[in-house]
Amino acid sequence: MWPVPATEKPIVELENANYSTHISQQFNEELEKIRTQMLTMGGIVERQVSDAIEALLNGDVELAEQSRRIDQQTNAMELMIDEQCTTTIARRQPAASDLRLIVSISRAVADLERIGDEATRICKMAIELADSGANQRGFQEVRHIGNLVRDMVKDVLTAFARNDLEMAYRVAKQDKNVDQEYRTAMRSLVTYMMEDARAISNVLNVIWVLRSLERIGDHARNLSEHLIYQVSGTDVRHQSLKQMKQTVQEEAEGSLQDEGNEE
Amino acid sequence: MTSEAKTHAIDIASMQRGESNLNLADEQITLQVQDLRLSYGDKEALHGINMDIPKNRVTAFIGPSGCGKSTLLRCFNRMNDLVDSCNITGKILLDGDNIYDRTVNVADLRRRVGMVFQKPNPFPKSIYENVAYGLRIQGINKKRVIDETVEWALRSAALWDEVKDRLHESALGMSGGQQQRLVIARTVAVKPEVLLLDEPASALDPISTLKIEELIHELKDNFTIVIVTHNMQQAARVSDYTAFMYMGDLIEFGATDALFTKPEKKQTEDYITGRYG
Repeated sequence: MWPVPATEKPIVELENANYSTHISQQFNEELEKIRTQMLTMGGIVERQVSDAIEALLNGDVELAEQSRRIDQQTNAMELMIDEQCTTTIARRQPAASDLRLIVSISRAVADLERIGDEATRICKMAIELADSGANQRGFQEVRHIGNLVRDMVKDVLTAFARNDLEMAYRVAKQDKNVDQEYRTAMRSLVTYMMEDARAISNVLNVIWVLRSLERIGDHARNLSEHLIYQVSGTDVRHQSLKQMKQTVQEEAEGSLQDEGNEE
Repeated sequence: MTSEAKTHAIDIASMQRGESNLNLADEQITLQVQDLRLSYGDKEALHGINMDIPKNRVTAFIGPSGCGKSTLLRCFNRMNDLVDSCNITGKILLDGDNIYDRTVNVADLRRRVGMVFQKPNPFPKSIYENVAYGLRIQGINKKRVIDETVEWALRSAALWDEVKDRLHESALGMSGGQQQRLVIARTVAVKPEVLLLDEPASALDPISTLKIEELIHELKDNFTIVIVTHNMQQAARVSDYTAFMYMGDLIEFGATDALFTKPEKKQTEDYITGRYG
């Protein structure tokens, strides 16, 4: 039904990731299913982002159109996964790590869907830019920031698949670089527009693209925050990178104390 | 920030749930358990429990069958004294005094620490006499005092409106949920400091259960409540603090909000999420 995820990542089964099995096998399967579907959705969105950037840089209208159509699927997946989360809360009253998993996934699919929206916006710009036959001013910046952002999305999904907090933290950190690059690109494009007023319309489109890429970076950071909450139980939204790093380190050291430490 | 901007500021702290910032360190303590060991014959059932039960809060004990939670609860009013082979060391301080001290009058202790059991056990008497019973054995005979206390106790147990027109009918004609609330009324009538509830709702239907839970919430203003329950959601709903026990040890004890979202011990996590321990 859904396209196969773009990259094949080793998905760590919950059971192997320091989680014991539920007494209710069915509950186990439900959680596992929700998690797998979220990762599948992530794969699709990752593909959308990468296609959007390709389409823009190569002026590939066909690819852009194709990628835009996929957005309806990610929208549908968001609704479906979110509904499963609600149902599971109603039927199972999950607690502790199960509850955090559900909450985190419910938040994550919203961010994934927004990433998909931004990718669609980029596709729209790609079609406009290709049709206007504009010169490639600003494309270098798009390529550079696009690469950074694409890797962020890919990495944060890998982090989700492996419950890897260190990796999630690195993604959040990378967002700072993206913001920096975005500001630099913006300055140079503004300078260019001042020099050549006829290019303003096209450069504005490129600026929209950069803006979308920067937003995708923000959503990738949000995703890493959701994962950190899911695994550690500490809500790191609206916190500094330093605080986030501390949470990740504490989690790596502490984890859940085992019964062995008792005696 | 200018003073003008401040007038638009939202007071986030006031929006938080009242119970969300509970901290044991800030509480007044009613019961202190100190290195309590209990054995039945040569089998030790509690392996040195230390905990503080906070005043005017609901503390829930959860844990699998046989973990010692009911045993511990029964220690608080010396119900285990009735078991011959039972041997207890350590202390339980009620407002600073050891209840296992030799000078303690057990009947008096049980007036201060009331208990309600799983199955409602009303006496085969009228509703009124059930509630008045504790007062009468204390030697209170004035009808006016008893009348007032019975009404107060029945109101406290959220039962008054349902039974005020049939106070002198037999208590055995009531529904299970009503009987359980009657037993709670009988217990609170003697104005204890602590209420021990041993699975108070496990024999009741869901609506009666909710009524008992609502009652627990209202009673905590006047009493320190300790509840043992198998129903984890119930512990999560009614309690301010939760203690998780396993195999005679206290594994984790803390604010309920924290324990059910972010337990510190893996055993707690496994138990409350329904995993193999």
